[in-house]
Amino acid sequence: MRYLLPSFLIVLLISCSSYPKKHGFVKVESPLQQVKNPYFSDVSKDYVYKAAIEAFGKNFGGIFIVKKLAANQHRVVFTTEMGNKIFDFSFHGDEFKINYVLPQLDKKILINILKTDFQVLTTEELRIRKEFKNNSNSLYETSIDSKKYYSHVTENELQQIVRVKNTKEKVEFLFSEINDNIAEHIQVIHQNFKLKITLKAL
Amino acid sequence: MLLMVTTTYAQTELTAAEATAMKAKVKALSEQTETITADFVQYKHLDFLSNDIKSEGKLAFKAPNWVKWEYVKPFAYAVLFKNETLFINDDGNKSDMDMGSNSIFKQLNQLITASIKGDMFDAEEFDVTYFKNDKGYIVHFKPKNDQFATFIKTFEITFNDLGEVIAVKMLEPSEDYTQIIFSNRKTNQKLSDAVFTP
Repeated sequence: MRYLLPSFLIVLLISCSSYPKKHGFVKVESPLQQVKNPYFSDVSKDYVYKAAIEAFGKNFGGIFIVKKLAANQHRVVFTTEMGNKIFDFSFHGDEFKINYVLPQLDKKILINILKTDFQVLTTEELRIRKEFKNNSNSLYETSIDSKKYYSHVTENELQQIVRVKNTKEKVEFLFSEINDNIAEHIQVIHQNFKLKITLKAL
Repeated sequence: MLLMVTTTYAQTELTAAEATAMKAKVKALSEQTETITADFVQYKHLDFLSNDIKSEGKLAFKAPNWVKWEYVKPFAYAVLFKNETLFINDDGNKSDMDMGSNSIFKQLNQLITASIKGDMFDAEEFDVTYFKNDKGYIVHFKPKNDQFATFIKTFEITFNDLGEVIAVKMLEPSEDYTQIIFSNRKTNQKLSDAVFTP
């Protein structure tokens, strides 16, 4: 027992190590107020992606469409390649509206997951709570809908947004092949359950 | 596209006798049709977008009901309707789905086959109305099934004077639509079964 207790404490301490610390970041005083996600921020653009979804052992594809309609206002639509709508959501600030969902997919739990994911993808300005640095990489602690997210920024490019709970990654949003404020390749990876969305710009 | 929209408005409903003659013409052509190949351009219109989403591909049909839609631009994706199964090849990732148990897929398949051959006037699942314009004929199919009607409000097939399908439009209840325009249509050329291998 005498030995067990300290080792138990060590495990506890390691597992409680914060997300920034775990990734080699140290806290700095942030001169910035907000971190920006520019990837769906241009009202003049139609953001159209070929999507591949791996969900609970099944794979399917489609066309993923995002349109910014006005400040804090986005439309997010998913269709089959042949054009049939699977879902059609509107985001206006904190308001969320379902314009259409295929009856077979009209499940509250699924809609909530998608809603949360797309809210993260389309939120343009995240208020910074804390800033961390690791060499030239910056890490910003932010929150969306009272959940904790870390944004990874390297050379002024937002590369990852990670939802973290109790120091563990829950959902990762990875942005790559970035050209002219368009992320040509986006991945949304859930760690809790088998759901992965891969988007390639068309 | 603008032209297509304009012509759609300049349509008048056929009389019963005209509709009967038109159906007979399409039916006769359809009965002689063993194979069809064509190119297509698809426009997905979503009202909130600045531009329609355009994709292009090739279509192959072999009687009685093998259909392959193959998108080549801007992505590679093919769907093959063969017997009771829907085969998908999504850029190399293959999957299939049994349509036998799914009435929506069955109706969709029926619509797709009809979009190519044109002959579906007797389908009990739809209310059918006939129109004419300067390009040929437009036939509207309205699903009677409520569940189907939640995703397709009307299905419109445009025929040329010969009775060949030249365009298809699927209108959603929201008024958003998918329009497919065919070109380079070739009928009754020899088409190997290998084309329809999943």
